[in-house]
Amino acid sequence: MNERSTTIPQRLFDIVNVVVLLLFGIIMAYPFLNLLALSLNDGADAARGGIYIFPREFSLDAYKLLLQNDKLLEGFGWSVLRVAVGTVTCLFVTGLLAYIVSIRHFSGRKFMRVLFLVTMYFNGGLIPIYLLMVNLKLTDSFNVYWIPTLISAYYMLLMSSYISELPDALFESARIDGASEMKIYLSLVIPMSLPVFAAVSIYSAVGHWNAWFDVVLYNSSGHFDTLQVYLRRLLLEVEASQQIMDQQLLFQKFKSMTPLTLRAATTIFVTVPILLVYPFLQKYFIGGLTIGSVKG
Amino acid sequence: MNYLRRFSRERQIWLISLPIILWVLVFSYFPMYGLIIAFQNYVPGQTMFGNWVGFDNFIRFFQEPDFWMIMRNTIVISMLNLLIGFPAPIILALLLNEVRNRAFKKTIQSLSYIPYFISWVVVASIAFTLLGNDGIINDLLQRFGFIHNPIQFLGEGKYFWAILTSSNVWKDVGFSSIIYMSAIAGIDREQYEAGKVDGLGRFGLAWHITLPGIRSTIVLLFILALGGILNAGFEQQLLLGSPTTRDYYEVIDTYVYRFGVQFGNYSYGTAVGLMKSLIGLTLVIVANKLSKRYMQTAIF
Repeated sequence: MNERSTTIPQRLFDIVNVVVLLLFGIIMAYPFLNLLALSLNDGADAARGGIYIFPREFSLDAYKLLLQNDKLLEGFGWSVLRVAVGTVTCLFVTGLLAYIVSIRHFSGRKFMRVLFLVTMYFNGGLIPIYLLMVNLKLTDSFNVYWIPTLISAYYMLLMSSYISELPDALFESARIDGASEMKIYLSLVIPMSLPVFAAVSIYSAVGHWNAWFDVVLYNSSGHFDTLQVYLRRLLLEVEASQQIMDQQLLFQKFKSMTPLTLRAATTIFVTVPILLVYPFLQKYFIGGLTIGSVKG
Repeated sequence: MNYLRRFSRERQIWLISLPIILWVLVFSYFPMYGLIIAFQNYVPGQTMFGNWVGFDNFIRFFQEPDFWMIMRNTIVISMLNLLIGFPAPIILALLLNEVRNRAFKKTIQSLSYIPYFISWVVVASIAFTLLGNDGIINDLLQRFGFIHNPIQFLGEGKYFWAILTSSNVWKDVGFSSIIYMSAIAGIDREQYEAGKVDGLGRFGLAWHITLPGIRSTIVLLFILALGGILNAGFEQQLLLGSPTTRDYYEVIDTYVYRFGVQFGNYSYGTAVGLMKSLIGLTLVIVANKLSKRYMQTAIF
């Protein structure tokens, strides 16, 4: 389809197509640019409206306020801890399972695979899972952020399809040399499967960073509020005003802060980490998707 | 004897498997067993063996005054997602496929995936900003003289379905188009050459070669979408909805959360959730049968 189109309708279509896709691109990008502009604008001025993609009265007050807000920093801390612990543990355990179900001579290989594949299609639903967490005393604790997400059948499929492509003879000779399975996993499988580990770690990290409902459901006490929960509170006008007033009393500044700019700055703060890993996401997720659609 | 020898040879692997099996039994299979409380009147702290009530919890749902409102919202929201959200990525993929400038195509694709990776909380924040009193939507409507005072879009039920559907499409359309793009990439180039020889123009090629080429992908994804017809969304409703719009946002899943978890009607909530899953499963099986018969494509 590289030849130049000659007829007028086709050339017209090319122009319309580019215009439509350009509009589409603007719709995708505009909300982020708008929030960025709002977050960098003076609060009182922003309340007059009319700010689109450039700030009118530049001000860093919203971000200064964020960096002095204990609740936000605490939320950020829990979010980072959750991403770190959740991703590392999930990767280690799911990777181990993926290795086990890739060992060709293991008689329980099929059994283990099926045991986990079933969980991709059936689950107990919201309430039985919630009751389980309550009974296991996982509610109102940090542990609920990583124990229930230790293993994912989908990640197992992605990882095992990569691991089973590795040369089997290498593991076999290590076994003959007396290496334990755990040692093979740690010193051979992981170093040789870094691309798939990297891909899964990014999926998992994004999932943990974005998680909101499980925090609301299991940790309603507020002791383990993550950044997403904090942002959710700011969506309520009253709460946002309260936060600003608290900070104004504490620091005698931020006079012209408004809920709108504070919310915009927090939203940007929550989104930036995703944008930072976005190039990696883009690099890995397409491969992951196609494997998933074939094997799933 | 053979088994024993085998087992001892694989001792290490089984030793590693044991905690993993234990984990999946506890976190995945035990909740499936926990579904039996749908047929009981379960009170926390009590064992899961007593107080059988049969189908009472299921029947109660049908008798709820809110039943029709919840079913209407669930089905309308799903239908909107299916009608608009399902074809949107196909159209996007077809349009992208016609772009000749690779850099432009890549840029639009990259932009379109971003919303998929941000949380619903962020999307809600965006919606609050764009639809607020001085957000761009009210601003444009006022500037062009359609309205004189800003509209409280998120406070009025009649706008809720439109807002929800737009947010869903905005978030997912780019990412969902990937699978169609890769299906299009898999179509044999020779077919296009043959089409050109036969005198097909670009529209003809798109209609007679590209679309049939991705037909099976479309059918498969459509069957899956039908199975999820009662999954009308969850976080987005909780985040975008408010008490004033409840009559338009409450769907089965949010109802299960509110009545089951927040009000502590565990058995009742489980029954409603179970019924929803069973209907979904039935729909997939029926859709799969029909597609096997009429389209020669099936997922199982």
